[in-house]
Amino acid sequence: MVALMEKQEIINTFDAMRVQFDENNDRKERLIKLSREVTTISKKIIFLLHRVLTDNSSQEEENKKKRSDGVRKADPLFADIRKLFTAMGQEMQGDQFWRYVRSISPGLQEYMEALSFAYYLEHHALISYQKAQDTIKREDGTICFPLPLSDYVLGVSDLTGELMRFVITSIGRRGEEGIDPLAVAVFVRNCKADLEALVPHVRDLQKKVDVTVQSLLKIESAAYGIAVRGAEYAQFHHGSSGLDFGGGEDREAEDRWH
Amino acid sequence: MSIMDPADFEYLVNHLEQEGDLKDSIREVVADLEKRVRTMTAKLSKVHSTPSSEIPSLVKSVLSTLDPCKESTAAIAALIPPNQFWRWKDLWARHLQSSVFVMAFCEYLTSGGLITLQTCSSNLGIKEEWKDRFYLQAEDYLQGIITMINELSRLAVNSVTMKQFETPFKISQFVQDVFAGFSVLNLKNDALRRRFDSIKYDVKRIEEVVYDVSLRNLNDPNGGNQAPNVA
Repeated sequence: MVALMEKQEIINTFDAMRVQFDENNDRKERLIKLSREVTTISKKIIFLLHRVLTDNSSQEEENKKKRSDGVRKADPLFADIRKLFTAMGQEMQGDQFWRYVRSISPGLQEYMEALSFAYYLEHHALISYQKAQDTIKREDGTICFPLPLSDYVLGVSDLTGELMRFVITSIGRRGEEGIDPLAVAVFVRNCKADLEALVPHVRDLQKKVDVTVQSLLKIESAAYGIAVRGAEYAQFHHGSSGLDFGGGEDREAEDRWH
Repeated sequence: MSIMDPADFEYLVNHLEQEGDLKDSIREVVADLEKRVRTMTAKLSKVHSTPSSEIPSLVKSVLSTLDPCKESTAAIAALIPPNQFWRWKDLWARHLQSSVFVMAFCEYLTSGGLITLQTCSSNLGIKEEWKDRFYLQAEDYLQGIITMINELSRLAVNSVTMKQFETPFKISQFVQDVFAGFSVLNLKNDALRRRFDSIKYDVKRIEEVVYDVSLRNLNDPNGGNQAPNVA
């Protein structure tokens, strides 16, 4: 039929469109809800990871294990997120993925932040795009949906903020062991350099890089504080960082101030 | 020194650059479509000063540019990777909507009916096998129809100025039917909803024209330009 001539024909056609539109809107709503759940769980993971304590013993192996154990606590939460990804994958098959990707983007970025934070704590390195994509899997190992490069990059830039918080908090906890601020400063500085190269290609990345710069300045401040007031920060005695604050006699020096 | 493995970083940059290049290529081809559509809308705008007898030839002239559009749509479809229709559609949506407007308006002027989405699609040479890369999506079709309604309210006014007093009545009936169709949809607060809200004003305007004309019996072949019939 070339044209609809009767009112009823017109109404029938629009009615069919109504059904389609309702389906699409319902799907979008479901995906937004799933994305919010991913965000909530990711935030829980991030808070959990902040509570991970690292012990700067002289055995690097022991430290590694303590960090690993801490990070493992997040595993069940990551498993929950994978279930949500599986549900999302159901809704976004074939060409529908790009239709609804904006609805799940916030959740994806929050997830990337949590994932890269956990990876950094275990491996002191940045998780690659490929490894990150590999985590978005179903039970049977197939990929739920493609991870947009932009969400990977934006999530990674959020990671630098979390590292900043982690460093500042550990310095604040006297008597408890923290993470080496100098090493983190180097990591974040290099992160920023890489991200800047990607700014022209990823929308909204510039704002995030600006925030990363702020975080970097705070971390650099903290590292400086330790270098200058070395005696008081004896717990950061860490052969690998090259900053030697001496051994046990620093505790006496510390007591002198009280 | 990069925190990313150099191979990884390369991969990211290359990938992002490729996407940028693809976007540029699509834009180039869409520009061709845009030119052709503009040619049609420009010719069509003359309808407001064209007497009814000459409308069929105006429509014919407008539609002569429709066939070449098939080249543009084919060129766009060729560039889109599989399953990525929704990723790139905003680059051409506006022009596709304009082309629907042109086709719908011409169909109304020819038959007085509402052109179907399928007809618009085949007029543009859109193939079934392109369906995950390039097709005429329902919302783009509806946007084009709304533009036609906007133009019809103008035509109602201008046809009276040209002393074609039957036209507003036909337009009025048609627009009311289409508006009734639109009212069936459950729209969310998006661009389509906002444009749908604007149709109300077109409907009102057309009604006013109809009222003005009937009040003065201008559409009566025997009377005409009499004093308003107020008792």
